[in-house]
Amino acid sequence: MPRPSQAGWGRVVGRIAQYALVVLITLSLNFAIPRLAPGSPIDYLVPSEQVSTVTPEQRERILAQFGLERPLAEQYWSYLAGIAQGDLGVSTQQGRPVVDMLLERLPWTLVLVGGAIALSLIVGAGAGFLAAARRGGRMEVGGLAFFMFLDSMPPFWIGMLLLVLFSGYLNLLPVFGALPLTNAAGGFGLTLDVAERLVLPLLTLTLVRAGWLFLVARSSLAGELSEDYILMAEAKGLPRRRIVLRHGVRNALLPLVTAVAVEAGTLVGGATVVETVFSYPGLGRLIYESVLSRDYTVLQGAFLLLAVGVIAANLLADLLYPLIDPRVRTEGAR
Amino acid sequence: MSGAKLGRIGATILVLFVIAAVFAPVFAPYDPTVRTAEPFAAPSLAHPLGANDVGQDILSELLFASRISLTVGIVTACLATILGITIGVVSGYLRGPVDGVLMRGVDVILSLPFLPLMIVLAAFLGQNTTNLILVIGLLIWARPARLLRSQVLSVRESGHVQAARAMGATHSYIMIRHILPRITPLVAAQFVRTANVSIMLEASLAFLGLSDPFQKSWGAILFYANARSAFLTDAWLWWVLPPGLCIAAVVVSFVFLGFAIEERVDPRLRSNLPASDSLKDEEIPTPVGGGALR
Repeated sequence: MPRPSQAGWGRVVGRIAQYALVVLITLSLNFAIPRLAPGSPIDYLVPSEQVSTVTPEQRERILAQFGLERPLAEQYWSYLAGIAQGDLGVSTQQGRPVVDMLLERLPWTLVLVGGAIALSLIVGAGAGFLAAARRGGRMEVGGLAFFMFLDSMPPFWIGMLLLVLFSGYLNLLPVFGALPLTNAAGGFGLTLDVAERLVLPLLTLTLVRAGWLFLVARSSLAGELSEDYILMAEAKGLPRRRIVLRHGVRNALLPLVTAVAVEAGTLVGGATVVETVFSYPGLGRLIYESVLSRDYTVLQGAFLLLAVGVIAANLLADLLYPLIDPRVRTEGAR
Repeated sequence: MSGAKLGRIGATILVLFVIAAVFAPVFAPYDPTVRTAEPFAAPSLAHPLGANDVGQDILSELLFASRISLTVGIVTACLATILGITIGVVSGYLRGPVDGVLMRGVDVILSLPFLPLMIVLAAFLGQNTTNLILVIGLLIWARPARLLRSQVLSVRESGHVQAARAMGATHSYIMIRHILPRITPLVAAQFVRTANVSIMLEASLAFLGLSDPFQKSWGAILFYANARSAFLTDAWLWWVLPPGLCIAAVVVSFVFLGFAIEERVDPRLRSNLPASDSLKDEEIPTPVGGGALR
């Protein structure tokens, strides 16, 4: 791998600074929202059923406890300092530290989202490449129609229909959660149970994303196949299969890497609704539960974690791209 | 199938839904807010789509919900498109530091996970339809703004714009009289796409229980169906299937309409000018519907 040049390092530092700014803006947004929202911050800090019964003394005490009577700049500073130490506050409904609740849910979401990225790439991009390699064929028209309709359906609705089909009618898969209710079997049995419960949410999220990846992959490979170097390869008499796979697809994969990272936020949004349908105990389901129980601190913590994750994914793609596509590197050097 | 034909199909579906929405009180057999049947009633002649968990007629609910879903979609798209045009045109036309600041702002917005942010905002602002429109509209203008900007960058170099500038026309005059007409087809295509994204986002927010409980949209109907586990019984057929089909049908019709418009876009307007120095996602087709959930 070539060493990044002087200009290359400058670019890396610049990008990191830019994304750090985005993180700071996200943090500030998170700080500002409850303070700008209608009503008093107290409404968002006590369990909703107790809001109407808070006495003035309790009010004072809560304000003091959260430092809400201090100047705004001071509050902002201690908020940032708290986050730097991993303190996201305490759940207003359960009284537990928000960080603990988030970390408990994070692995489930990572498994789901990671699996969906991999599977939707295989299914969506595979079908998209196939469609582009046989332009105008029945595959392309059919695939286009299928994936376009798939892309037009609400993700949670796809999930509900899959539930009806697989759990309701075929009675094949469990409906609910990620872990069996009675945790009798350990070891391999447990792994199997967990995998069984992952199937439907994963399938849903994969279907949701595959449609869009199909479109990206198809137009990417179609673009590559119209380039001069493909014509050159054909002139050399290389077999079609080799041209498409070794020359076309290799280059057509590059935009997909960026696309997946840039759309990481979309995936997280999809995971939120899909987890809700399947009562899958990830961050998305936690968001849903917090909306229903009006647990504002948890809601904010979950948003912050997801936002930072998505921003990090964007940064990573931004930094990796020149390494996998040298054309970008030479352009940047100009 | 040609773009024009797809466009006609899309427009027809859309007109049917608009008619259903406008004349909902005429078509609906019952008042959807009143209990008119047994809870969870199966479809019958009196209630073609049965009743929900409180005994409200689902067909009537569906008809009235089309008003909310379509209104949110179209009003939000208007708001986002106007914002997108303003930012995109000013940024692309003025260039320089204004452009730099505005496009960094666009970068920031595009790198946030939309749906979680909208959930937080909607939860704090309170559940009503106006808030949903504002929350969605104020976040989704960034993508159209960036696309329109790259278009403006090429239009501003064309002969008639330079001539107008040489004759001493003011910036605002050039932007409104010379730039805007040239980007209108792209604006139309962006409007359709934005409407799509808003309908899908509204459905998701409503599905998560963040819509006005007294103004049920299709997404909200699905929220109640999900909360009552309607998909575990036969009720999915008349409670879960119809609202989702409505959403999908409207989204597909907007997609078709978008195809037709994009096909008619003046080829002279297509340019390859680089837009912004960060990730060039203009070249990546934006998701048309469900995938647009950010």
